[in-house]
Amino acid sequence: MANIDAKQYSRESPSMKSRMSWLWSEYSVIIAFVIIYIGASAMNPRFLDMNNQLNILMQVSIIGIIALGMTVVMLSGGIDLSVGSVLALAGVVSVLALNASGSIWIGVLTALLVGSFAGFLNGLMVAKGRIASFIATLGMMAGARSIALYIAEGGSVSGEVSGFTAIANSDFWIFDFPVIIFFVMAVLIYVLMHKTRFGRYVYALGSNEKAAMLSAIRVDRIKIGVYTLIGTLVGIAAVIETSRLNSISSSSSGAQYELDAIAAVIIGGTRMTGGRGKIIGTIFGILILGILNNMMNLMNVSPHLQGFVKGLIIIIAVVFQKRE
Amino acid sequence: MASHPFVAMNTIEKSFNGVPVLKKVTLEVEKGEIHALLGENGAGKSTLMNILGGVHQPDNGQIFINGEEVKMADPHVSQAQGISFIHQELNMVGDLRVYENMFLGSEIRNKIGFLNVEEMCRQTREILAELGVTINPKEYVRNLATSYKQLIEISKALLHKSQLIIMDEPTTSLAEHEVSRLFVLMKNLKKSGVSIIYISHKLKEIQEVCDRYTVLRDGQLVKTDVMENENLEVITKLMVGKSISQERYVHGHEFGEVALEVEGLTSAGLFKDINFSVRQGQIVGFTGLAGDGRTELFESLFGYRKKYSGIVKVKGKPVKINHPRKALQAGMGYVPKDRKENAIIKDLSVIHNMSLSSMGNFERLGFIQGKKEQQKFQTYKEALNIKVHNPRITIDKLSGGNQQKVIIAKWLEAETDILIFDNPTQGIDVGAKQEIYQQILMLAEFGKAIIILSSEAPEVMRICHDINVMYHGEITARFTGEEASEEEIMHYATGAKREGEKIG
Repeated sequence: MANIDAKQYSRESPSMKSRMSWLWSEYSVIIAFVIIYIGASAMNPRFLDMNNQLNILMQVSIIGIIALGMTVVMLSGGIDLSVGSVLALAGVVSVLALNASGSIWIGVLTALLVGSFAGFLNGLMVAKGRIASFIATLGMMAGARSIALYIAEGGSVSGEVSGFTAIANSDFWIFDFPVIIFFVMAVLIYVLMHKTRFGRYVYALGSNEKAAMLSAIRVDRIKIGVYTLIGTLVGIAAVIETSRLNSISSSSSGAQYELDAIAAVIIGGTRMTGGRGKIIGTIFGILILGILNNMMNLMNVSPHLQGFVKGLIIIIAVVFQKRE
Repeated sequence: MASHPFVAMNTIEKSFNGVPVLKKVTLEVEKGEIHALLGENGAGKSTLMNILGGVHQPDNGQIFINGEEVKMADPHVSQAQGISFIHQELNMVGDLRVYENMFLGSEIRNKIGFLNVEEMCRQTREILAELGVTINPKEYVRNLATSYKQLIEISKALLHKSQLIIMDEPTTSLAEHEVSRLFVLMKNLKKSGVSIIYISHKLKEIQEVCDRYTVLRDGQLVKTDVMENENLEVITKLMVGKSISQERYVHGHEFGEVALEVEGLTSAGLFKDINFSVRQGQIVGFTGLAGDGRTELFESLFGYRKKYSGIVKVKGKPVKINHPRKALQAGMGYVPKDRKENAIIKDLSVIHNMSLSSMGNFERLGFIQGKKEQQKFQTYKEALNIKVHNPRITIDKLSGGNQQKVIIAKWLEAETDILIFDNPTQGIDVGAKQEIYQQILMLAEFGKAIIILSSEAPEVMRICHDINVMYHGEITARFTGEEASEEEIMHYATGAKREGEKIG
């Protein structure tokens, strides 16, 4: 017995090096965030200005809300490419409902319903139709955008109800409303993923679908739930997007949002194949993207080059995370 | 002659993560000999062979081939020295044709660099004919039975003009007549000067075909000797380190009510007309060879496969099970084979793996109570003797035996009355094996109905009250544990005999 104890002791007292590598693999995104934050403050004094900081938060809130849902989808081993198009469709339909009814509540509810229904269809295709999530949501991406264009005849639609713009343009204490919504959603999704069985099942499903099913988990329902959840979050994002300028464009709103959301999740350390990752990681991932965008604007980098920098960061992030 | 063995591995040492796996192991194989490499799982056989095959590098020691020292830097070097490795898991590309698999990586090309398909097909046909099989070289490999895939793997080794072929458990998926054909072939190879290292657990086979043997235990060389006249029991003793009793564990026949009853269960192409029943406290075994359909049968019964017909009754009530959740609700638990693929969720912690199928037990107002999970795990840790220091680490860090105990705990926590174990001791070392057997017996004594699927006849003979033998999706014989003998079981499992009346 003493022999075994000695063995376990030596195994459980890791060297400094392995402890550091554990810290790095668990929290690399936070370390990267701190480095980038310090770098940004050193490079431009205007970066640390309170208004600028709040501005960054405001700018990341819409993609942030979508990225929370994307984290859940990717943890389940899937992906959702349709978020940008569904955002445009939910925005267009909700503005029409808003104008027709004159009620802000009906407008908001419509956006949530359109978003969650699109997500539900994605979930059905993936779970029951056994279509790869990449393909199913690619189809939804094209389809939702097309319907949005058709309804709005290719242009923009604007709200005609006063008070609707207040949703995205009010603030509470120092924070803009969208930022508060983002934080509230982040807390809710965090609790959902770590304190409820739904979250546990999502991790299990993403890690090993067959074993999850053989553990008597209703895998299909979880998948449908996951895609419906991201659809609902896209609906919330659509309300903010529409309310901010009191209009939504069927052709350009939400374009490439899926890429930014996926980028944030990947930078945040969630594994592409599912089963491993953290909501906290995604939040820091989206903040890193926000700071980079902000820095490039402050330093007058051509907007055409900003995509290049973003691409570089994503690849660097993934290269570093490979060393787990 | 003995002065120049074809291959000599001298004082090979190897450790992984500071844990020594091989301790000064020496192995010599003569030209034209069939050499058995024996040992329990984890004795270091595979590591030794992987070093010879160039997959791993030894920490210490040399390898000589024909008396010259060779550094097996990577698998290509090993191949160039005429060594072929036939792995237990077949390395075949299902979407390629037979001849494409045979020549993968060494395709024959004509002068302008295009593939010479006709020549490759001709050579493929020739070699397969030597093995006594006729397969169309242009057939896709995915369409072939496992035993044919095995034969193709062997022909591949022949094609490369190998001087030494390493065979890791080649007969697990072969039927009896195929095994005897393989043995004839091996003897022919031997005559033409090819050496073979033969790894197997089936000692009878080894005695039939091997010239010499080497036994490893815990990474150390135990004995090398000539096979002839050697007593099998002596060899077993060498492998295990002590004489293991082949005595049956189960006695007594006091069973409760019928827990599970199955009538006329049929699924096209997998199994047909399966009838059996299990009582509370009874342990019923199912055995057979690969492809007998027992795993598919119980995956269907557990609701993982949906396309089957027939009647399933749990405690006398007919149930329709089309999802594992329904099976759980009916009181069934399933410990699947291939633990890594089917049972453990490697990214979840030990505790979370335990609670996965019974989340409801740990919830309050819809939120998981982490503390409750931990307390519950503590009780299972003590009851099942799960060795883990910190149960928050992910389950893949545990040894196979401890992982299996966690999976058992999962189904106990889900309060299942019927437990199905598929290959319960797969990849588990000897000590933990005994423990798992004892736990299964204990569960039966508590009144659980237990079903054991195993490819190893001795295993079911030791722990089951009743034994069903399957062949090609049918139950071909049924024995009680006392009257069963390994030979009899094999006769029915290979389809050599069948006994319809016995099943009635």
